[in-house]
Amino acid sequence: MITHRSRAVHSASVEVLARRVREGLGGAGSGTPVADHLRAAAEGGGSTAAGHAGAREGAPGPVVAAGAVRLLSADVVAGHLLAGRPLPAPESQAVRLALSALPPAPRASVAVLHGGEGAWLRAWTDWGLVTALAGADATQPPVPAPVPPGPPVCEDRLPRRHRTGGAAEGGSVREGWVAWSLRMGQLASLALPHLDGPVHDAARGGVLGLARGATRALLRGDFATAARLNRWLAWLAADGSTLPVDAGVLGAEIALRGGGERCLLDVAIANRMLEGERAWTRK
Amino acid sequence: MDPEMTTVAGIAQDMAARALTWLHANRRRGALGDGGIAGDPDAYKALTETALAACLVLRDGAAGSREAALARNLLDFCWDQLQEGALLYDRLLRHPLLTDALEGYAHFARAGYRHPGVERLIPHLAATGIVTLVEHVPNRRLAVANALRITGHGQALEAAQWETLARATWLGSTPAPWHIDWMTGYHLTHTVFHLTDWGARPDGLPEDVAAHLTRWLPVWIDIWTETCQFDLVGELLLVDSCLLHPHADPADWQCLAQRQHPDGLMPRDGNPVDDDPVIRFQEHQHTTIVAAVAGTVALTRALDRAGDGSGTGLLAPAHGDRPQ
Repeated sequence: MITHRSRAVHSASVEVLARRVREGLGGAGSGTPVADHLRAAAEGGGSTAAGHAGAREGAPGPVVAAGAVRLLSADVVAGHLLAGRPLPAPESQAVRLALSALPPAPRASVAVLHGGEGAWLRAWTDWGLVTALAGADATQPPVPAPVPPGPPVCEDRLPRRHRTGGAAEGGSVREGWVAWSLRMGQLASLALPHLDGPVHDAARGGVLGLARGATRALLRGDFATAARLNRWLAWLAADGSTLPVDAGVLGAEIALRGGGERCLLDVAIANRMLEGERAWTRK
Repeated sequence: MDPEMTTVAGIAQDMAARALTWLHANRRRGALGDGGIAGDPDAYKALTETALAACLVLRDGAAGSREAALARNLLDFCWDQLQEGALLYDRLLRHPLLTDALEGYAHFARAGYRHPGVERLIPHLAATGIVTLVEHVPNRRLAVANALRITGHGQALEAAQWETLARATWLGSTPAPWHIDWMTGYHLTHTVFHLTDWGARPDGLPEDVAAHLTRWLPVWIDIWTETCQFDLVGELLLVDSCLLHPHADPADWQCLAQRQHPDGLMPRDGNPVDDDPVIRFQEHQHTTIVAAVAGTVALTRALDRAGDGSGTGLLAPAHGDRPQ
């Protein structure tokens, strides 16, 4: 059972790791945020039994720290992918350690929209981490990463909460922009250089849906979702798409009004992609 | 007509008919007091807004004969309350910069109600540059310009001036879509209403402004539906109907229609509606007018688009002149 305190410890660990990654993006960090995070957990967390509660107040155990790595997923190697520099060996080992401690599901779920959405999302974020790791460290053998089924397609003219089609009707699922953009926000860790696949194709086909989703989130004060969707917009700009909004201004708005390390990390990654538009090569 | 447009047309027709019924049944609650316009500004505003709804029902001609009769009856009542335009004339004569009298008069004039004195004043005011003479907010200047156009005195306004007036508004600058608040939402709706003359001229919107609305209107409707701001939602749905290619999401119309009370009252927001008939009228009369206008224009546009496929014109006015 996940208690309130346990959830708070997990969240805190994610926030700390997000800050470490963000500092690394700006050049202020060590360049090994994951290794630092796991080391700090091992030194301060003490208990390895469940790893949920550290010996020191607020310090996560190793399992909690590994969980933070898995939750941030490909973001943990964002600094290296954005800078185009290889992952240092200790950092690569640390990411692989987290992957071995909490391995991805062996098979990608196919139940995207019929009660299996959580598993499908996890399958995609796992794919993102494994693929990003392979892109940042080609010296090690890649971890197997099955490609999950693609996402629904956003259709701007559909009523915004509408959903139609699907495998049963012999076509892809088409959705209005509200649910579609929220789901894309949950997959924002895939919006990184060197990652490309069906989710990215869906993003290319849903530029307006993403911009609408980001605007809706900002107007609702949901800065975390706004930041995630703005990240997709930045990725699209770097990919060569024309945006209906200024993603830089949107990111600044989110950073000024929002908060939380994950939100700020998403904004920072978006800014780096905007700065380096077309500087990195599509896969 | 495609199925979604058929659905919207049906909802819109029912919404407008019910709203009009409520406005008619409660019209005497909006009677002007002994103090006239100055003594009862809220009643004065309600009378001119009621006249707006009624004149659009008659202009568009899409409503049934029952609704047309209600609309004519409402106009008669409102015109009578304003002493057949004498109160508007007096206000405009004494206070020529208070353009509300001109704006309100235009609704009557559209339906054939004219006052000789006001008719003499309007060309004079137009010649003095009344549109920009007053330090109104930009969308209000469009209201004055549209009133001149409706009353037949807008020829002095060239296309370039309309463009300048439009660009001075929030919407005319096509700002970032998240830089909007509740009040600005009303500014944008009225910018569209006046530029398109309440849906009669969808091509009155600059192309980039229309594109901006097509992009972001679904977001704004979603936001204010979630916060139960039904008055603004109604106006935003009306804005959609004013576009050359309305989005017309049936779910939006169903959502608003579900809020309408059995007697036709449309609540302004999600708060409980008072049982006191006077308070009900005071608090929800405006939103019910919005429902009448939004439903009327949406129905007209749907029929128009089904009829000729262009979506640019309106049905021929069936009741354009006041019977003698």
